[in-house]
Amino acid sequence: MRAHYIGWKDLRIRLRDRNTLVLMLLLPVALTAIIGFAFGGDSGISTVEFLVAGTEEDDLISQAAAGLGSGSEMFQAEPATESAAREAVAAGEKPAAVILPEDLTETVIEGRRAEVVVLSDPASRIKSGIVRELAERFVARLNAGSILSRGVFETLAEERGLSEAEQRRLGGFLFGWARDALEEPRLTVEQRQAERQEIDVRAYFAPSFAVMFLLFTMLTSAKTIHEEREAGTYSRLMTAPVARTTFVGGKLLGSYLLASIQILLLVLLSSLLFGIRWGSSPIAVVAMSLATAAGASSLALLIASLTRTSRQTDNVGTAFVLIMSLLGGSMWPIEQAPEGFRSAARFTFNYWAHSGFKELVFNDAGLAGIWQELVVILGMSAVAFVLAATLLVRR
Amino acid sequence: MAREPVILVRDLVKRFDSMTAVDHVSFEVERGEIFGLLGPNGAGKTTTISVLSCLTPPTSGEARVCGMDVTKDSLGARSRIGVVPQEVALYPSLSARENLAFWGRMYGVPERELRERIDGILETVQLASRASDRIDTFSGGMKRRVNIAAGLLHRPDVLFLDEPTVGIDPQTRRNILELVLSLNADGLTVLYTTHYLEEAEFLCQRIGIMDEGRMIAVGTRRELTESIGATQVIRVVADGLDADAATWFKDSPDIDEASVIEGKISIHARVGANLLPTVVSRLSSSGASIHSVEVDDPNLESVFLHLTGKSLRENDQ
Repeated sequence: MRAHYIGWKDLRIRLRDRNTLVLMLLLPVALTAIIGFAFGGDSGISTVEFLVAGTEEDDLISQAAAGLGSGSEMFQAEPATESAAREAVAAGEKPAAVILPEDLTETVIEGRRAEVVVLSDPASRIKSGIVRELAERFVARLNAGSILSRGVFETLAEERGLSEAEQRRLGGFLFGWARDALEEPRLTVEQRQAERQEIDVRAYFAPSFAVMFLLFTMLTSAKTIHEEREAGTYSRLMTAPVARTTFVGGKLLGSYLLASIQILLLVLLSSLLFGIRWGSSPIAVVAMSLATAAGASSLALLIASLTRTSRQTDNVGTAFVLIMSLLGGSMWPIEQAPEGFRSAARFTFNYWAHSGFKELVFNDAGLAGIWQELVVILGMSAVAFVLAATLLVRR
Repeated sequence: MAREPVILVRDLVKRFDSMTAVDHVSFEVERGEIFGLLGPNGAGKTTTISVLSCLTPPTSGEARVCGMDVTKDSLGARSRIGVVPQEVALYPSLSARENLAFWGRMYGVPERELRERIDGILETVQLASRASDRIDTFSGGMKRRVNIAAGLLHRPDVLFLDEPTVGIDPQTRRNILELVLSLNADGLTVLYTTHYLEEAEFLCQRIGIMDEGRMIAVGTRRELTESIGATQVIRVVADGLDADAATWFKDSPDIDEASVIEGKISIHARVGANLLPTVVSRLSSSGASIHSVEVDDPNLESVFLHLTGKSLRENDQ
């Protein structure tokens, strides 16, 4: 196999190309800096204040507010009436408000369907996105508590023949117990959040732009497959004792090396220039970076295999990257998108790559915390590479 | 037992959809020979080389290089050949040395020998002083020389040169032709395609003439010209020539044909040079005042013209 010579040659050529270097490093860093500047001052979000409204008694709303805020000083949830919450968000006084459904406790105990509404101020996308995420976590806990307590409740009520009043008391107790039990792990989350009292807008967008520009760089690398055909070097290679699989393998290797260098350099530069902390596990950061590099290089190779010329790769690839970036949340906070949109985002590479890096930056998730992202990205990468290699070798 | 030719092509056919690019072509190239494929653009020369260098499979027929079938033992055949494509196929942002190292590695040149071989080949193509310069800083001629060097680094048994002098200046062209001769003098077998008949005449020991996908003649230059009965032509420009002058020469048994057109007499004979004193003496004694005399050898242009009814030069236009 001589694939490594082809890969090394490609890497050398790309790293000598000024345009590639601009695309690799300068643009994502500059855009991250501009976004940080656009959000003002220190580019950070130190607190997220929001309102919680519902028809429950005040102490229950307060409990829900505490649950939503996860007890962190960073998230300050205050109880309010629904009309006051709506007014505050509409006036831009609060970035978001969480409106709980009527009779929340009853609904949960009886296992009925209900909706928690998050009102968002469009001018405060990042903060409202964070509130939405908090609301989702809260709802997930309530759902789990509801399912757990209902199972126990139905078993006991049936076996002991309890009266309606006894059933209600038991249900309330079980739900409270289940909710408390499920909230236990929250303690660890609070600890991690306490170390970092500020969400940096640049920390949110640095991985987004890194992933997006990684795909762009990979396109320039993958289209060299066509450039080699157009320049006659591919034909020359095919007159040497080199198999087509070696050529395709070499191309992927060159792209992958370039992608790995780019993503690791962007992580390093964003730490040095913007003070972004990518979590406390270097292994997790490297694993996430290398998996992302594999995904981006394989996807770009797939685009090259589906197109016929370098110009086509440019055009089709650019459209592909822009759509994936838009859909996958590389250009804006996907957290505030409607549910359907977020479900669609899960089919994009950008979503998973960004999600993994976000977990590292904001939740200090170690390797165990990003395993799902790693599996999905590596899976996408393997499928894309097999398809691309099959098409390219047959051509 | 007879030695197997380095290149053997037998009844080779290559079709692209309904177009037949190579039509039942056969020829052989012996070890140490420079064999030329001569023909106009579109004659099928490059397609023939593409089949021999394993770039495209034949539709039918047989093609062997160094005894290896190019279809069945493609990797084996490719390791024995060097190919210099028509266009410069190098990486512009890499230096001459980096390009050669890459191509050497692709052909499996051992790392321990690579540097020495690159130095040697750069000396051969007279570019040792520019070894570290990027290819995109080279002139067209220098690029061509590196292009040839890349095909030689792994010391192939046979070198395929596909119109290596197209679009270059006369000096570079001359350098390349001399380089090919010097490589051949060292024992390298060369298959050279061209549509310049002067190159074929200058370089090649044997020539195959192709037209419209077919091999219309194969042989040495002498064999080819003799095969069509081509003659030398004596051309004399003189004042006072009359129409009878042609008649005097036509009666001679050594002369095939003679004609006078606008003060110039053309005499066709198999060994025209031997008749020159007689012709000059006869014209002078008839009172003609001679201005110039020239003897043209029969050439491949005549052969091509004879075999196809069209001029090779016309096809170049």
